[in-house]
Amino acid sequence: MKKIIGLLVTAFFVLGLMSTNAMADASKGQKYYLKYMKNDSGMNGAKFATQHTQAEWKALFAGKGEKFIAEYSAKIPGLKAFLEGDKFAKFMPDIRDFCVEYASDSGNVPSC
Amino acid sequence: MKRIIAPLLVGAALTSGFAADDLAKEVATLKAQMAELQKAQSSLNIDALKKQVSEIKAHDAGDNIKWDVDFRTAYDYVDYKINGGDDVKNGIWTNKLLLGMAAQPADNLVFQGKLGVYKAFGQTNISQTSMFQDFDWYGTQKPGDSSIKLREAYFLYFGDIGDVHYSASFGRRPSVDGFMTNLRADNENPASPVGHNISMEFDGASFKFDVEKITGISGMYFKICLGRGFSNTTGSYSSNGAGGFNPAYVNDAYNPNMDLAGLLVQLYDNGQYKVMANYFKGWNMMGANMGYAQSGYTFDMSGNMTGVAMTPGMLGFIDVGDMTGGSLSLQVNGIGDGINDFLDDSVFFISYAFNKTDPNANVAHYIDSFGQVQNTTGMLGSADSETGHSYYAGLQLPGFMKGQRVGLEYNHGSKYWRSFTYGEDTLAGSKLATRGDAYEIYYILPLVGKNLTAQLSYVYMDYDYTGSDMFFGQTGMPMDTATTPGAVKSASDIRASIRYRY
Repeated sequence: MKKIIGLLVTAFFVLGLMSTNAMADASKGQKYYLKYMKNDSGMNGAKFATQHTQAEWKALFAGKGEKFIAEYSAKIPGLKAFLEGDKFAKFMPDIRDFCVEYASDSGNVPSC
Repeated sequence: MKRIIAPLLVGAALTSGFAADDLAKEVATLKAQMAELQKAQSSLNIDALKKQVSEIKAHDAGDNIKWDVDFRTAYDYVDYKINGGDDVKNGIWTNKLLLGMAAQPADNLVFQGKLGVYKAFGQTNISQTSMFQDFDWYGTQKPGDSSIKLREAYFLYFGDIGDVHYSASFGRRPSVDGFMTNLRADNENPASPVGHNISMEFDGASFKFDVEKITGISGMYFKICLGRGFSNTTGSYSSNGAGGFNPAYVNDAYNPNMDLAGLLVQLYDNGQYKVMANYFKGWNMMGANMGYAQSGYTFDMSGNMTGVAMTPGMLGFIDVGDMTGGSLSLQVNGIGDGINDFLDDSVFFISYAFNKTDPNANVAHYIDSFGQVQNTTGMLGSADSETGHSYYAGLQLPGFMKGQRVGLEYNHGSKYWRSFTYGEDTLAGSKLATRGDAYEIYYILPLVGKNLTAQLSYVYMDYDYTGSDMFFGQTGMPMDTATTPGAVKSASDIRASIRYRY
């Protein structure tokens, strides 16, 4: 039995070395949205994300998200300082993934 | 003046000449683009596209469920240390399949469901050796055979009353792997309840009200949860022992409905700090009734039903009383604010929970160590009202490589601690039900993003008292594991798994 466990543990860490790098994380994006954007937007995350289709979000976040920053700095002036700051630049891939995952055409169905 | 005007006229003439050239070039470009567009349009076969769309519509018509798959293969190694006996250990391979269903026919109406199969590899003798294997509370959370079972099925109707967003839901609840315990289960989103004291499958209803806008408190909502853990009913075509059949789906006159009503409150959630609390009351909690069980009904000479026929040697249940409980939990999602990436990506939680029994005077039967049927009353082995407590804390940190996670958890339960965590997926028994100390370490690594992941975990439960994770009567009686021969002193569960999700 110890041999099986040893083999499994070894295989586990070999798999770890072979694993592909994780991409951005929609759940982290949701967390950042709640923390930094929800108060000013006045919308919960699900509602915010359904403002655009997946293709539209991808276009808005292209490059360094200049189009997103421009659109939402104008729509929600309270977000301007955050969107133009270092934190947004750092968290943008996660926020982008969150918006894309819950976009209006994502087919995502709310749960309980 | 002429000297000034003349150069200006020459300049104007030259500029207009250049402008005219530019204009001509732009017109030529536009003409070329128009020609390309016309060519592309002419090559489009509108009829073919229409036919294709019709085919897609015909194919999808009535296809009103979106499916998702969650499939895991695991190897568990369980090991029990017995007081005065040899260790008991085993290695088990399992397959677990969860098929998720979802649909949203209207903006304010949603259906969610989940079917599950959790099986040990190959044929087993589980059904011959474990009389509670098919219990409804953990149908898809304990490995058995390849039967497909219903894990979740509910609809959600939602809307707004002024500034209050509400939802109403009926069905089989998303009540396994809730708040906090979703981390060890590697589920992005927690299910409905607080995982510390409730994690089991049951049917019922919920009514949720978001009061964030009217209170001004970020994320605040409350949810009324109703559940039934046992239905008081007979089946159909049950023999009455006199050559006929009993009436179908009537009270079994033996075990009343076991119900639970709870209030779940999210006190605060700003994405980083989340505080949740729950308070519940359960009525008619069931205890095992060894020795006698309903075997039919008794009738008078005229054929009228007069009572319940009890047969010794069988096992049944009996209402042993009510129980209240509650919890208060804090989760910090990102420690500090921009101190460093490691802390930003770390999760910490701490939780307290309690339970309090309210036993009735019903007499249950149990078989003592001499094989004799004895009478007993009360809950958790006590005729008095008893209170139990539990503490639960955990950390989830970034792993060695990007996307990997490492988790550490600890919980402690007191002598009379009783949780509703029968649906916890730990083969050696619910660690959160432990009357004693439980420790866990796990490591999660993504292999193909989040679609294929591997997890290695080790759970160790050091019991102070017996009766953890049992029913609410005599079988839940706490006995000191250090002085009780045959008691399980500790249990451990090592699990290596690989999981596909899409």
